[in-house]
Amino acid sequence: MQWLDAVIQGVLLGGMYAQYALGMALMFGVMRIVNIAHGDVMILLSLIAVSLAGVLPGGNLMLVIAIVPIAVLIGWALQKFVLNRVVGVDPLPSLIATFGLSIALQNLMLEVWSADTRSLPNSGIASASFQIGPIYVGLLPVIVLCTAIALTAGLDAVLRFTRFGRGLRAASADTDAAAMTGVNPRRIYATATAIAVGILGLAGIFAALRATVSPADGPAQLIYAFEAVIIGGMGSIWGAFLGAMVLGVAQAVGLRIDPGLGILFGHLVFLAVLATRPVGIMARKR
Amino acid sequence: MTSHTYTVQRSTLSSRIALTLGAAVLVALVAMPWWATSGNIRWAIELSCYLAIAQMWNLLAGYAGLVSVGQQAFIGLTGYTLFVLAQNFGVNPFLAVPLALVAPALLAVPTYLLLRRLDGPYFSIGTWVVAEAVRLTTTNIDYVNAGAGLTLRVMTNYSQHEREVAFVILCALLLLTTIGGSYLILRSKVGLALTAMRDNPVAAASQGVNVGRMRFLIFVAAAVGTGFAGAIYYMAQLRITPAAGFDPFWASMSIFIIMVGGIGSIEGAIIGALIYFFADRLFGEYGSAYLIVLGLLTLVIALYARGGVWGLIQKLGDHPWFPVRRILIKVEK
Repeated sequence: MQWLDAVIQGVLLGGMYAQYALGMALMFGVMRIVNIAHGDVMILLSLIAVSLAGVLPGGNLMLVIAIVPIAVLIGWALQKFVLNRVVGVDPLPSLIATFGLSIALQNLMLEVWSADTRSLPNSGIASASFQIGPIYVGLLPVIVLCTAIALTAGLDAVLRFTRFGRGLRAASADTDAAAMTGVNPRRIYATATAIAVGILGLAGIFAALRATVSPADGPAQLIYAFEAVIIGGMGSIWGAFLGAMVLGVAQAVGLRIDPGLGILFGHLVFLAVLATRPVGIMARKR
Repeated sequence: MTSHTYTVQRSTLSSRIALTLGAAVLVALVAMPWWATSGNIRWAIELSCYLAIAQMWNLLAGYAGLVSVGQQAFIGLTGYTLFVLAQNFGVNPFLAVPLALVAPALLAVPTYLLLRRLDGPYFSIGTWVVAEAVRLTTTNIDYVNAGAGLTLRVMTNYSQHEREVAFVILCALLLLTTIGGSYLILRSKVGLALTAMRDNPVAAASQGVNVGRMRFLIFVAAAVGTGFAGAIYYMAQLRITPAAGFDPFWASMSIFIIMVGGIGSIEGAIIGALIYFFADRLFGEYGSAYLIVLGLLTLVIALYARGGVWGLIQKLGDHPWFPVRRILIKVEK
């Protein structure tokens, strides 16, 4: 029963990681860019949410309404001023640029918010739980998981059925050919980044509700998102979701074996997947 | 009818000056215990380690196209191996340095074989995961004192002068192998292949360069060179903890140095290391504000001036310190 509990908690934790991973899968799928500052942007949005919560009336829903547009704006600015200049075959400039941005952001947050850990005020959801048989399940983690499922399904549907989705898939397959058929790659890139960072806004609020955040937490979130994407299979939206579940379960099971082993177990499962099935669990067929 | 032959010119006036200066610096370094203060020797050790680690990253990112952000795995691992050999097995700590270099090579081989499956930017984060996995594993091993780290008590068996002499010799060897070694490799036939890979890996492969094998060899060599510097650095610190030895800041530092100095050249590594070293002395006290500036500087250089400071200097005139080109000169008879 202890293990079943670990698996359930792992899946719920995976819901959080899925929210980090979706944006990364989307951006890499389209632009072949990994934004090293991905986790730091998420933490930045969390900290803005924590600060806003003190002055904004209307609780968490208002917070979502306020933060997601800020996130989309940050995504747009990131695309316009940084990523558009480094999109290309050579991965070095985009890596270095976002790496520099990550260091600058982390230290900027340290200046503004200090190194303290912070969280959003507990509104009852964070501590509410219900019982399924002998296992207690927190209400908030279930909401996080359901949100992750809805976001994954929504993003998948957008990619499959909308004009933007077709353009995005075309641009990711062959940017030049897509441009010739009337797709504007820059607009596609900008929309993809805005969506990716917009999702991070939601993730940031959930992260601050679920646990605490501090300016130095970004790199760990980047690594979890990355591991989820690779375990699931590059370029697949549902793959990223599934990878996040696998990572969450691996960490929760490791944590039950020894409190020091949780995160390490996640890394080991990632390396094992890389060794045995490098294309990931749900690799897109080519 | 005039006949003529061709000669290949490989060194220039600037390079002969640079080599003479380099040799003088090495001699001065080795003589340091007899003319410098202990504080200055500590600075020299630090600068040598920074320079070596940065140049190894330069080989990886600047030539092999392998942008690693996980070199701290090799720094920490070699440091730990040295501490265990010297402290727990009673090996002479200075002899333990070369012995400890087996460890980074042993880690680099499986790391590369696993990570080569990842595409460009994903390779980078993959190296970071490996470094984190090694750090967390170390934190969970009681034999090496888990998260609390190790202290190199055996160093008290040596007088301060003996230690200083050993350290400057090790630093000179470190610079000879990492900087001198890089220069020799780049001047050789392998260097031609590496330069071709730097400019265009696909074209290099079509010219008969075995890109995969070259990348593998460079990855292992860079791991050993980085580990060498790590062993010296932590031996001088007398203490190592998982948080320090496997600190991702080592990766940040390499990236600052190489991007600011100029990627893909030894000159860039030297300029960048000197800039970083003095900036750290002058502005390090400003803490996070200083790091914001370093981060933004890296961002701006990646966006607008990819050649770094050395790239700007080269625009003023072509005076390489470490020329790796072959210039064909026609000699009239």
